[in-house]
Amino acid sequence: MSTQKQHSRARRLLAAGAAVLTLSAGLAPQQAVAADGDKVLTVAVAQSVDSLSPFLAARLLSTSIHRLMYEYLTNYDPGDARAVPALATEWKSSPDKLTWTYTIRSDSKWSDGQQATAEDAAWTFNKMMTDEAAATANGSFVANFRKVTAPSPTELVIELKKPQATMTALDVPIVPKHVWEKVGDFSKFNNDKDFPVVGNGPFVLTDYKPDSYVRLKANKDFWRGAPKFDELVFRYYKDQDAAVAALRKGEVSFVAGAPALTPAQAASLKGEKNIHVNDAPGRRFYALAVNPGAKARNGQKIGDGHPSLLDQRVRHALFTAVDRKTIIDKVFQGYAVQGEGYIPPRFSSYFWKPADGQELAYDPAKAGQLLDQAGYKKNGDGKRVGKDGKPINYRILCHATDSNDKAIGQYLQEWWGELGIGVTLNCLDNVSDPWLAGTYDLAFDGWSVNPDPDFVLSIHTCGALPATPKDTGATDNFICDKRYDDLYAKQLAEYDPAKRADIVKQMESRLYDLGYMNVMAYPNAVEAYRTDQIKSITTMPAKAGNIYGQDGYWSWWSATPADSDGSSDDSGSTGVVIGVVAGAAVLVGAGVFFALRRRATAEDRE
Amino acid sequence: MTTETAKGDAGARTAGPRALARQRRRQSVVRFWKQYRTHRAGLAGLIALALFALLALTAPLTFGSDVAGVTGAPGQPMESPSAEFPLGTDRFGRDLLGLLVWGSRVSLLVGLLAAALSVAIGTTVGITAGHFKGAYATVLMRITDWFLVMPTLVLAIALATVLPRSLGTVVLAIGVTSWPTTARLVRAQTLAVESRPYIERAKALGGGHWHVMSRHVLPNVMPLVLAQTTLMISSSILAEATLAFLGVSDPNVVSWGGLLQDAREAGAVSSGNWWYLVPPGIAIAVVALAFTLCGRAVESVLNPRLGVGR
Amino acid sequence: MTADAPSAAAVKAAAPAVRGPRARTGTRYLRYGAGKVGGAAVSLLAVLVTGFFLFRLIPGDPVKTMTGGRPISEEQLAAYRREFGLDLPLWEQFTDYCGKALTGDLGTSYQFRAPVIDKISEALPNTLLLTGTAFVLYTVLGIVLGTRSAWRHGGLGDRLNTGLALTLYSIPSFWLGLLLIIVFSVGIGPIPGLFPTGGMESGSEEGFAYVLDVAHHLILPVVTLVAVEYGQTLLVARSALLDEMGSDYLTTARAKGLRDDLVRRRHAVPNALLPTVTLVFVNLGRTVAGVILVETVFSWPGLGGLFYQALSVPDLPLVQGLFLFFAAAVIVMNTLADLVYPLLDPRVGR
Repeated sequence: MSTQKQHSRARRLLAAGAAVLTLSAGLAPQQAVAADGDKVLTVAVAQSVDSLSPFLAARLLSTSIHRLMYEYLTNYDPGDARAVPALATEWKSSPDKLTWTYTIRSDSKWSDGQQATAEDAAWTFNKMMTDEAAATANGSFVANFRKVTAPSPTELVIELKKPQATMTALDVPIVPKHVWEKVGDFSKFNNDKDFPVVGNGPFVLTDYKPDSYVRLKANKDFWRGAPKFDELVFRYYKDQDAAVAALRKGEVSFVAGAPALTPAQAASLKGEKNIHVNDAPGRRFYALAVNPGAKARNGQKIGDGHPSLLDQRVRHALFTAVDRKTIIDKVFQGYAVQGEGYIPPRFSSYFWKPADGQELAYDPAKAGQLLDQAGYKKNGDGKRVGKDGKPINYRILCHATDSNDKAIGQYLQEWWGELGIGVTLNCLDNVSDPWLAGTYDLAFDGWSVNPDPDFVLSIHTCGALPATPKDTGATDNFICDKRYDDLYAKQLAEYDPAKRADIVKQMESRLYDLGYMNVMAYPNAVEAYRTDQIKSITTMPAKAGNIYGQDGYWSWWSATPADSDGSSDDSGSTGVVIGVVAGAAVLVGAGVFFALRRRATAEDRE
Repeated sequence: MTTETAKGDAGARTAGPRALARQRRRQSVVRFWKQYRTHRAGLAGLIALALFALLALTAPLTFGSDVAGVTGAPGQPMESPSAEFPLGTDRFGRDLLGLLVWGSRVSLLVGLLAAALSVAIGTTVGITAGHFKGAYATVLMRITDWFLVMPTLVLAIALATVLPRSLGTVVLAIGVTSWPTTARLVRAQTLAVESRPYIERAKALGGGHWHVMSRHVLPNVMPLVLAQTTLMISSSILAEATLAFLGVSDPNVVSWGGLLQDAREAGAVSSGNWWYLVPPGIAIAVVALAFTLCGRAVESVLNPRLGVGR
Repeated sequence: MTADAPSAAAVKAAAPAVRGPRARTGTRYLRYGAGKVGGAAVSLLAVLVTGFFLFRLIPGDPVKTMTGGRPISEEQLAAYRREFGLDLPLWEQFTDYCGKALTGDLGTSYQFRAPVIDKISEALPNTLLLTGTAFVLYTVLGIVLGTRSAWRHGGLGDRLNTGLALTLYSIPSFWLGLLLIIVFSVGIGPIPGLFPTGGMESGSEEGFAYVLDVAHHLILPVVTLVAVEYGQTLLVARSALLDEMGSDYLTTARAKGLRDDLVRRRHAVPNALLPTVTLVFVNLGRTVAGVILVETVFSWPGLGGLFYQALSVPDLPLVQGLFLFFAAAVIVMNTLADLVYPLLDPRVGR
């Protein structure tokens, strides 16, 4: 009796389990069309949000979301990246270049109905100038501001201490004063408790669950026009393979990869129906930085870079032994362009490449000669010996999370091993500590270049060095070169674009010759989206550009949904059918199982 | 004095005490092997291990030592299996079969060393805690209990993060966190051994702590330690793979866990390159299983009451 | 991960404190309980100390790490140090930290600029859902299969059962997870992609649909955890029952003419169950390890993923807080098991 009862209970439980399985399996994979008919654009992301407060956020995902939530004074044209109106409709500077006057548009409303005015902008800047906590993320933009006022709701006046070139590229989200003035401690306020968050960008943040999703709804009143999708969801896939699988299934509409899809992933997605792989020239350069005997501005030494690297011939020898073509072919498998000058070819006006005689082309024999000339001869074991009599062994700092670093590191080990130089790969999760301390010989380095190259140029000036070894400077790699600095100052003062570009190219040439920054490759931005969910989307630059991490909100604002109502219904019912079949299979299996079991018990009874 | 008992043995008329001991040991080994042979699973495990050991040891002959070299990689990146590359190629175009065979050397080595370290710590702690009772033992067992409930992976990751990345670190991180089970087992056995009358006699005859522990206790816990080591190797190999997968191992060394991590970084999972992902995982599972089977067989031969193998 | 080898002897020895009081009188129990709680307190203190000093060994300057290499002056750095109490002598930092930890204040995360305790309580329910479901399932599955295996030990069923358990036990959990994603999420050949590839929810469902959605996301991670963990329980339950089966009372029960099935269900299993469950709690530490891996592979927004992320920054307060939390959780669960055990086990009072 009791056996009987237990069996039936177990069977009921199993049936319930199967039912849950059936029901849940029957849920169609998330499609571009949600249940209520809203068009949803789902983007797979991996990076955690550090903060949703525009005063604290530094990570790419967070700042991209802020682009969508808040208007900035200006935006960048998707075509040629020149400054175009955003919250400000026009701007002018005084003859002495110290006073800038912006006209604020009167057709931008906060999502709670209030008018966005110059007063909001002035309050935002003033807050950053007066409250150190509010300057955490974007303080560098206002460091040079003397005074910011709003004489009228449509007029914003910024007075500067000295001329500043980035006044039409102030990447500062303007927040609503009437909401933010209630915030107490800016260092602790993360803007992630009350939804929807009041904003005036193309999307309004409506929900956020850490490491699960960030959800935004289209701002139908956006002055530039409402986005075509009704909803934009950033959904988390910590594993890039899972994200790609999700794209393949249609769970998400877009995958960017961090920083790009791997060659294998791109290759396999290219053969897929309804998926478009966007293989665009990247905005990043990928370089091998050499420690130039790091020093602080006060002349004190930082760290312990290898002394032999101070010899230009050694640096050139090392880079001459790097086969960039192999790196492109094998490591990037074609999804990158061979490195030349400092600025990627995508920014054509600033792109520079070495002249024939100047180029450090791959030539291991020549590399050996250069090292011999510099006095680093091979010893009996075939190892090059430093001035201290010890075999040379360089420490290369690499990012443990970047598989390209590790792969190229292995090539360097073998190429330079041929030269007689030892290499220790120091792969760390957190490279910034040894980096800032100057305790490396070489390091894998890379930056995303902005349409205006000022920033990536500035990080190699002497002025960017830390004041003392105890400070942290803006410097990338402790480079300090008089000639480069002179050129840098010259281009800052030059307002003729062509002439400025010419000086910038001279700077790149100088940097190349110095041999402290050896650009190996310009990795492509490799991303993919479903064409049955996204019909069209604006890349930046419009021709052969990237989608994720643009300088504006163009991609998500412009994306148009594909008419996939039919197909999504289809796959929905397929899902249900599959679910039912699976559930039935489980039930049948369970039935057979218990039937067999009962027979077994029956046999035991005899 | 101590040799008296041996001399009294009837069978030792011609052989000296050492030869006798050797003979007895040989007999027990033969007996052990006879019983072990009856455990089919254990036998299968042993055969599998012998095969893997052979593969690992002969790797320099079968696959030359330049398999791991990237500049001379023979194939194109991510080739699918072919006659030339039975398991395809990796992201550099290296032969994955060769890497798998070479990887066995590191995985087995790390597994053995970590297990040896772990068992050595565990045995030392166990024997001393069992021998010296009182406050010393209490403190030691308190520490053991504490380590026992620690989330070992968390501790191992933390250790591996703190120390420089190398195989030594991995061995240390695994060894230092995984000894408490052994310590408890050995202590229990030590207590049992020390309650036997001949230990009393040895003590009465002036045998010091060291003498008792090394001459009487250690030989008696040795079989247990052997079984424990075998089992520990299995979990150490899994742990090595785990740490390599989480990226806290030395990225330049070819190991099975490292291959899995490579495969994942190259995006093999979503691009359908199963040959990159599946073989290392199977290799880990087979070797871990083989060690476990051997360990369980040894255990049940030595202590049939555990009812493990039947 | 590493500590517990799948051997019966190891499993037995792994029970640190399954020794009950000799008599079940109230005072004895109280004394026993106090001992257990005291021991747990000592362990917790040890965890507190380890957590503090272990992560101080990570090389580098936390403040420079925190500011991510942004240009910053010495004064600003000093200000940060003051803010996070890093300018104090080490022992003062330690006492400060202990005092705060006891009141539940685990500091402020460097990268999220939010209290660590908030980050933990955010992710905790997700981890509890995953771990709890898997824990219940693998315990039940392990006990059911283990007792069946022991009852007919030596038979084909037993051999298949233990064989499968040992095999699954030997498979790296992250690898199994990846394979499951390939086969059951993406779909391979005739198998359609039945399950989501990661995460905990689609983010667009509400009400009952939300529950179903989460359940749908839960299946693969739980299956992975159960597959690699149930072997342990199975082996423990099996050997516990094998021990029990030698007992005289079972022979008596059978002699009374009770059916085999009933003898097992009414007598043997309940007695073998208690040590098994206790040992399952001891093995919680292993489950924590499994959770870290499974959460990483399945993008589950829980504590494991948070820990891994915190380590790579390194976000010291968060790492420390999570370490404390994991260890404390295991210690507390173990102590609870210790305390409940003598109340339930009929033999302890003997």
